[in-house]
Amino acid sequence: MTIREAADALRARRVSAVELAAAANARIGRLNSKLNAFITVTAEQAREEARQADAELAAGRDRGPLHGIPVAVKDLFATRGVRTTCGSKVYEDFVPAIDAAVVERLRAAGAVMLGKLNMHEMAYGITSANPHFGPVSNPWNLEHSPGGSSGGSGAAVAAQMVYAAMGSDTGGSIRIPAAFCGTVGLKPTYGRVSRYGALPLAYSLDHMGPLARSVRDAAMVLNAIAGHDRRDPTSSRHPVVDYIPDDGCSIRRLRIGFPGNFYFDHLDPGVESSVRGVFARAQSLGAVVKSVRVPDVAALNAVGRVILLAEAAAVAEPFLERREKFGPDVLSLLDQGRLVPATDYINAQRLRRKLSREFDQLWSEVDCLIAPTTPNTAPRIGDAAVRLGGRDEDVRLATTRLVRGINVLGLPALSIPCGLASNGLPIGIQIIGPAWDEALILRIGAALEDGGVGIPACPPA
Amino acid sequence: MKDWRAIAKASGLEVDPAELNRIAEPLEALEAAFRPLVKDLTPDVEPFTGPCLEENGE
Repeated sequence: MTIREAADALRARRVSAVELAAAANARIGRLNSKLNAFITVTAEQAREEARQADAELAAGRDRGPLHGIPVAVKDLFATRGVRTTCGSKVYEDFVPAIDAAVVERLRAAGAVMLGKLNMHEMAYGITSANPHFGPVSNPWNLEHSPGGSSGGSGAAVAAQMVYAAMGSDTGGSIRIPAAFCGTVGLKPTYGRVSRYGALPLAYSLDHMGPLARSVRDAAMVLNAIAGHDRRDPTSSRHPVVDYIPDDGCSIRRLRIGFPGNFYFDHLDPGVESSVRGVFARAQSLGAVVKSVRVPDVAALNAVGRVILLAEAAAVAEPFLERREKFGPDVLSLLDQGRLVPATDYINAQRLRRKLSREFDQLWSEVDCLIAPTTPNTAPRIGDAAVRLGGRDEDVRLATTRLVRGINVLGLPALSIPCGLASNGLPIGIQIIGPAWDEALILRIGAALEDGGVGIPACPPA
Repeated sequence: MKDWRAIAKASGLEVDPAELNRIAEPLEALEAAFRPLVKDLTPDVEPFTGPCLEENGE
């Protein structure tokens, strides 16, 4: 069931918010020992919020499509009175006095909060094999990673524990778990969704966004969380629109960019054929597929890594004397970041401006770009390398290869599932659009989804 | 090419040789990709300040 279907059922009194929350709690109780998607379950609080949601609806107060809908948030969003660990020993006893802006807005929209989701330690990695709270498993195959860093968010949505979950994306951390778990994942434009109250990984690269069961569900969440927030110094005043695509929305005559360079290099063959199939489907729906040459994405990746190393090390510096508090992969990255000179960081930000201008020119040729989200399907938990195009590649660098550059540019990108590989694991595409045009990429995603691009629901774990 | 092992030691990072390699090797690879890009920068290119700030002219 999607958010829209649940919302309709609530208003038709076929189900109550209390029943939806109870069903979600029961599913979490049944599956979390296998998936380890939740660090903290707030079952009692959820029951109370659901009771209130039902009472409001009965009294004629309707907060909109998220009213009474079970959701959860990655454990880096501050939740008043509920422990917020960031998947880290450093924050293991941190109980915030505030709600993050995103949590405030979800509550204001009537969503029922089921708990806090497991993640890669400090959001600094893509496996969600958390050394402190245990690894998250992929609901499609428990021996495989759900991706990360929002791995608990991807697993919880795919396993239908919640209708939607909040994640954060600094170098692909919403889109990667969305692709690996077969969910929709939206990284909005930088500045579109407030970062206030979200524990930072890298200030200038962090984006907050939803993972959901359908494109329209993701749009409903964006409607609730988008907008200016003076408490986030990078929050934009750019106007917010209704992001929910119309029923029967069309992509006729839209110019869809097919990247002729970079994005189709060194792919898993199953990923490549599935993604190419999406272009054929888009054409059959009336879109114009246009081959384009994209600016230097390898350069964007290098720039993004320098910025991430430096900013993440700056954020973590107060804690780095307690080295035993960190897992080895995160500690190594933080140590690397401490060595990046200020000149390299500033030059990376200068290159970012230069490459951003080059990328902007692409939007005169096409309305969006479609590319694979990841070159691979979900690796096995513990795999350090992945073999692609006849070469072994570090699993983190391979998995972020096609997504990291878009964080550097701050552009919106939507990952949707487009097929299952021969190993039974999901494959995702990302739809990348111009800044602030979330409505466009959501419309394209919804039209593709309506047109048959997608996968069946995840079988029970 | 920078000597990341020497930089690490000079920065007071006290780790064993294996850990030092885990730190230095990725930086060497990143350096090889990043350094040539910097050579193309002209003085007029200023640091990026974020899409919203650029748009608002702030």
